[in-house]
Amino acid sequence: MTFFDTEEKLSRAVQKFLRVNPRNAAPVCEDIPLLSNQEAWLNIALIKQYHENMSAQASRKLVFNWLKRLGLESVADKRNLALGDKERFLVKLLRSAMVQNAAILINRPFNMVPQLKNIDPILQALKTIDDLYSSCHIYDYDWMEQKYGALCR
Amino acid sequence: MREHVLILRILNAKKRLMSFIETTGSFAMQRATSFAQMISFAAAVFYRLFMLGTYNSATRTVLVNQIYFTSIQILPAFLAVSVLFGSVLIGIVFQLLKNLGLTDLFGNVLMGLIVTELSPLFTVLLITLRSGAAINTEMAAMKVNQEIKTLETFRIDVINYLLAPRVVNGIISVVLLSFLFSIVLMGSGILFSRVIFGISADVYVNILLNSTNFSDIVIALVKCAVFGFFITFIPIYFGLRATHELTSIPIVVSRGMVSVFAAILIIEVLSLLTKLM
Repeated sequence: MTFFDTEEKLSRAVQKFLRVNPRNAAPVCEDIPLLSNQEAWLNIALIKQYHENMSAQASRKLVFNWLKRLGLESVADKRNLALGDKERFLVKLLRSAMVQNAAILINRPFNMVPQLKNIDPILQALKTIDDLYSSCHIYDYDWMEQKYGALCR
Repeated sequence: MREHVLILRILNAKKRLMSFIETTGSFAMQRATSFAQMISFAAAVFYRLFMLGTYNSATRTVLVNQIYFTSIQILPAFLAVSVLFGSVLIGIVFQLLKNLGLTDLFGNVLMGLIVTELSPLFTVLLITLRSGAAINTEMAAMKVNQEIKTLETFRIDVINYLLAPRVVNGIISVVLLSFLFSIVLMGSGILFSRVIFGISADVYVNILLNSTNFSDIVIALVKCAVFGFFITFIPIYFGLRATHELTSIPIVVSRGMVSVFAAILIIEVLSLLTKLM
C-alpha cells in the first residue's frame, strides 16, 4: 500500500509501475474500463484468449469458476453498464488477475467503489484469488489512510 | 497621390492572392497527408491479414461474431430485398431487350452487367448502410470511453483484435452476399426468360454459361474483396480518430461514411475502367 499527497505524484507512480512491469502490469483503475460491447465473462476471458490462445470454451469454464469463487456467477452475462460498482470492480480485478504472473495495481479503490467503508472487502477478494497473481499494490491518496485501518499503522 | 493609392491596391490584392494560395495549399497538404496516412495504415492492416500471428482465440471469437452480425442477421431482409428488387430489375431488363430486338444479348447483359457489376454494388451499399455505420459508431464510442486504452494497457494489439477480424468479415460477407444476390437474380431470370422470351430453363442455363467470361468473374470477385476491405477499414479508421469528447462521435461517423461512399464510387469506376480496357 502506497500513499501519495498529490495527484501528480500518484500519476507518476502509476506510469512508473507500468514501465517497470511492461509484460505483467495489470492495473485496476477507473480510467481503464471494461469493454462495453462484451459481457463481463468475455472481458475477463479476453486476456487468456488473446495472450495464451485459450479456446473460448476453456476460458469460459475457467472464468465461470473464478466468478463463482467470488460469488459473482450471476453477473457473468451482464455488460459494463448493468454492473454495480462493487461488481464492476471485482470483474476488473479478475480481468487483471488473468494476466500471467500478474503484478496487480489497484489505483484508488475507493474511487471505483465509493460506498465501501473500509478496505476489508477488497482484501477479502484479493485473498480469494491469491493464487492467480504474483504481487498486488494499492495506490491511494494520503487522506484516504483512515479507510485502510490497521493496515497502514 | 493616385499612383500611391494604386500601389496600395495592388499590394492588397497581392496579399489577398498570397493568402488564398497559402490557405488552399495548406488545405491540400492537410488532405494529402491525411490520405497518405490512411493508405499507409490500410497497407499495415492488409499485411497483418496474412500474418498467422494475427489470429488467436480472441480474434476468432470476434470474427465469428462479426460474420453473424453482418451476414447472418441481415439475411432475411437481404433476401427479401434481393428477390423483390432483383426480380423487378430482371423483368424490366428482359422486356427492354425484347422491345429493342436484342433478345440474343440477354445472356451477356445478365452476366456482364447485372451479375458482375450490379450485384456487388447493391450488396456493398446494403452492408455499408447497415454494418459500416454500426462499426464506425462502435469504434468511436470505444475511443470516447477509453476502451482502446484498456486494450493497449493489457497489451492487446488494436489492429489484430479490432481491425483484422472486422476487415476479414467485410471481405467474406461482401463476397458471399454478392454471390447470393447473383443467384437470386439468375433464379428470377429463369422465370422471366420463360414468360418474356418463352425459353426453357435448360436453354437459359446454356445461354448463361456461354456468356460467362472467366475474367469478368475474377474482376467481380476481386472487386467484392476490395469493397469488403474498404467498407470496414474506413469506418474503423475514422472511428478511431474520435477524441475523448462525446460530440466527436457524430463528426467522425459522418466523415467516415462520406469517405466510404467516395471509396465505393472510386472502386466502381476503376472496375468499369478495367472492363473498358
